Amino acid sequence: MNAFFNGEIFKESLWLLVKTLPTVFEVLILGLICAWSWGLILSLIRLSHVRPLRYLAGAYIDLFRGLPLLLLFIFIYYGLPHAGIRLGPLASGVLGIALCYGAYAAEIFRAGIQAIPKGQTEAARSLGMTHGQAMRHVILPQAVRLVVPPLTNEFIAMIKDTSLMSVISVPELLFTAKEKMGVVVNSTPLTVAALIYIVFTVPLIRVAARMESQRGRRKPRGGKSGGTPSVEVGGDLQTADVAGQLP
Amino acid sequence: MVAMIELIDVHKSFGHLHVLKGINLTVQKKEVVVIIGPSGSGKSTMLRCINGLEPIQKGKVMIEGEDLHGPKTDPNKIRQRIGMVFQSFNLFPHKNALQNVMMAPIKVQKKPKAEAEEIARDLLGRVGLAEKAEVLPEELSGGQQQRVAIARALAMKPDMMLFDEVTSALDPELVAEVLSVMRNLAESGMTMVVVTHEMGFAREVGTRLIFMDGGVVVEEGDPREMIVNPKEVRTQKFLSMVL
Repeated sequence: MNAFFNGEIFKESLWLLVKTLPTVFEVLILGLICAWSWGLILSLIRLSHVRPLRYLAGAYIDLFRGLPLLLLFIFIYYGLPHAGIRLGPLASGVLGIALCYGAYAAEIFRAGIQAIPKGQTEAARSLGMTHGQAMRHVILPQAVRLVVPPLTNEFIAMIKDTSLMSVISVPELLFTAKEKMGVVVNSTPLTVAALIYIVFTVPLIRVAARMESQRGRRKPRGGKSGGTPSVEVGGDLQTADVAGQLP
Repeated sequence: MVAMIELIDVHKSFGHLHVLKGINLTVQKKEVVVIIGPSGSGKSTMLRCINGLEPIQKGKVMIEGEDLHGPKTDPNKIRQRIGMVFQSFNLFPHKNALQNVMMAPIKVQKKPKAEAEEIARDLLGRVGLAEKAEVLPEELSGGQQQRVAIARALAMKPDMMLFDEVTSALDPELVAEVLSVMRNLAESGMTMVVVTHEMGFAREVGTRLIFMDGGVVVEEGDPREMIVNPKEVRTQKFLSMVL
């Protein structure tokens, strides 16, 4: 028991690890903004009328959903310098998250946009709106509401995946915990790191679950438009979470 | 005088399905043209070709003398002059009734918000829904939603209005309130093309009746005369089923 939960080491590590949180938040917030903006752009390209662009976006999404994030981090941080491109640990982390999670977000946004009935676009266009205006004022505001629950799940996976950045020496929770473990020859720092992850992820998991059950209960809208559209994205989205592949 | 709408030999196909097989139609200012026909006859498709919601494969669509598919034409500009109301209302569910009506004047015509709101409140009053301005579409009845949709189309001050089976999705007791709004609109001199199954409306409000079947115009004429005394066999058969 002492090997995993030593009171003295616990206190030391807690303070040490909490001090890494600003770094974690920085990567998370920048990563989230970049990944979701990139995802939205990708989804719009994926749904555009220009066939070559559409295929290109589709190929990107497939590729980056198929690559392990850990490989991406290592490629950006250790691989790119061979081509003369040197990014710091934080920038590499944000770029990796944006590239990988952008692909997942694109699929979620696409599903959200396609879940909006065609009549909405037609009504907007019949009022003289351009394709862009219809998207901006009519389709996206409705789609965003649909994608909040799946994007929350993505955010949870993203939080856990910041731990992968320990291999590119971003001083985040796991990196710092592992270093401390080496110093104190005890596993307590890892326990502390686990607790900190759980403090952030479990409430979000509850929130996401509640949003999903509320959406299921909401009564369908009247008229011929049928029920409230929802975004069905397969459980394979969880493959973004590759925390289990840590060396 | 240049016609409001002119369709010249319009052909439309969905893949191998040839839906419109050479439609010729001219609608003059202040006409109320009522289009009837069995389902699948191409009535709705023709209506959607008038404002370019459906691309056409052959022929011409002229709106007030402008070629809708002309190389120098901006179809978005032309659509601003053509109001359209749909069978399934298609109100924007994330906006209340007032915001539904105000959106296009603000976003498309770039009107100041105050002016757009004045127009919108006036129109909601005209369709009898002044007190429902702040209500979301999902809390309105079908008839009320459809009246908001009419107000929304009118907010752009269109030169003509297209109605695509706008009462077909309504419970019978809600049909009258929508038809009465349309009747008032016709009396105010609006140019209208109405696809409908409401023969009473066709007889009382229509200035011309068109019977379509199999992607062509089979017969057209004065509604009061044509309903009683159709010339074509297909028209006779159809009318005997719906009357």
